[in-house]
Amino acid sequence: MMNAAAATCNVIIITDPTGQSPNGAAAGSMSYDSNMFESTFINSPVDKFAILSGGADTSGSSTVVNDTPRLQMIVEAINDLKSGANAETAASIANSFSGQRLVIGGPTIGAAIAGTSGNWLIEVSNDGTITITPTTGEIGVLPPGTKGAVLHLLHTPGNPQPDNTTAVGLAASEMIGEQIRDGYPATQILANTFKLVAEQSGEQFGGGGINLDSGISTEDTFTPSELNQTGFPMDQPFEKVDPISGWGITFPDADSYTTSPIDNNPLTTVYAYQAMENYITVGANNASVSTYGTDDPGIIGTTESVVESSVNEHGFDATQIASDINKAISSGLLVGVSPVEPDDIHIETYTKQVGVYYTPLANGRTAPVWNLPISSSLLESIGNLQTAIGLIMVVLVIFRSTLISSFSRRRKKL
Amino acid sequence: MFIKVRRDTLIILVLAFILILSGRFMTYTAYASSPGAYEGVPISGVIINGNDIEPTDIIKANVESEGFREGSYIDGDTLVTSKTRLPLSEAITNAELAATESAYPGTTMYPITAASITVDNQTGIVTVNVIEDWSSVVVK
Repeated sequence: MMNAAAATCNVIIITDPTGQSPNGAAAGSMSYDSNMFESTFINSPVDKFAILSGGADTSGSSTVVNDTPRLQMIVEAINDLKSGANAETAASIANSFSGQRLVIGGPTIGAAIAGTSGNWLIEVSNDGTITITPTTGEIGVLPPGTKGAVLHLLHTPGNPQPDNTTAVGLAASEMIGEQIRDGYPATQILANTFKLVAEQSGEQFGGGGINLDSGISTEDTFTPSELNQTGFPMDQPFEKVDPISGWGITFPDADSYTTSPIDNNPLTTVYAYQAMENYITVGANNASVSTYGTDDPGIIGTTESVVESSVNEHGFDATQIASDINKAISSGLLVGVSPVEPDDIHIETYTKQVGVYYTPLANGRTAPVWNLPISSSLLESIGNLQTAIGLIMVVLVIFRSTLISSFSRRRKKL
Repeated sequence: MFIKVRRDTLIILVLAFILILSGRFMTYTAYASSPGAYEGVPISGVIINGNDIEPTDIIKANVESEGFREGSYIDGDTLVTSKTRLPLSEAITNAELAATESAYPGTTMYPITAASITVDNQTGIVTVNVIEDWSSVVVK
């Protein structure tokens, strides 16, 4: 018997409606309920939209919740958005499904919330005026080009905390409005909202978050690992990290560590909402590196650190990154790949993504093939000839006296 | 000295030693500059193109489960994996089918309608081009 993945906290925040900032729009889903899989926070990196959903079809039996209408609704919304519809049109699909909710948004298409109750629309005008509207029973629309957010928060049956979601929803809306006005990036506001909602209402299990501008999703980081389980509680400690070397370990293993095994630095505890923020936020020089052409974990890790240090020093310059990678290859730091050309480095400056395309060396070689002006077969025969001459000389020297004496004896006979 | 060695004998021995050493070094140089004998190309990586909402990891895991993973190698027209050896064309067909059976996580929606796989015989890079089409997704 599977319960619908009824996300009971959905939020989309747009702080930069022009789509220029890499952290200008974020979305996320949480719930007290189980089964908060990735279908509750669908992310389209190509077309830059997010579809958050939840809600239960209670028209049938009261205990068995049917997941099919929700998925049908999601598919319809995806197809609408793919064919160019804006958030409002796509969200209105929820009205044709009973008991369903759709929260849809993107950096440039605006945001909209439709269906069920507990919906909030937060608009922040350019002069700093914050308008918070509860929009139950109608579609709440944040038009394209406006800063603001949409929030849905409802109490999940079974949550031991008393139902305070109306008060928490209002408090979260106020906080979101103020932070948008004060110029925080959307990803940080999303993390703050997750913290507030998880701590105060108990609707705390991931779910996950999306950076809509850069197309980064937390994917299965916080989602349940099995059916009918809850995800990771977003207000709990998630991992311990060493702020200097970046080494980290997740709980429960982290319980047995107080210092980093690399350099004995004390570890900092990172809560799940902070971990989500770090994961989806794109920093000024915080490149996200993808390596193609080889699956060797050593190469992937080393490439990441080489590219990051190159970006920190010289910025996003393909020629510079390529020459730094080639330096690492010739110094033996990267083993088993051919040197790269600037063409092999793909940079998306806007989302700070760097892709490195490697050509692995054949036959398990560790160093690239040498480029010599002489053909290798000629070299090989000369080398073998020299070895042979050397060996013959050794033999001649060993039998030197015998040979000389027999030679001179023969001459005497003549 | 127990063994009497004449000085010119020593010089010839040193000369022979240098000849052997440089000869061996030249053979190594020849190896290092040659493209090398053909011994099969290891699968070096899987690149997925064309997906949007469907996570790349899911498609990659499905393609890898059909043999295109770390540790497998291509020997002529044969794909040799840790479990079995099978013709490369058959492995590609299987992997293309596996890619289209990538469900969206936590659901029974299959948005990948078609997949085509090309394997680079020189570098071992597997490129998977998929078509993601949500209009054909049927929710059961």
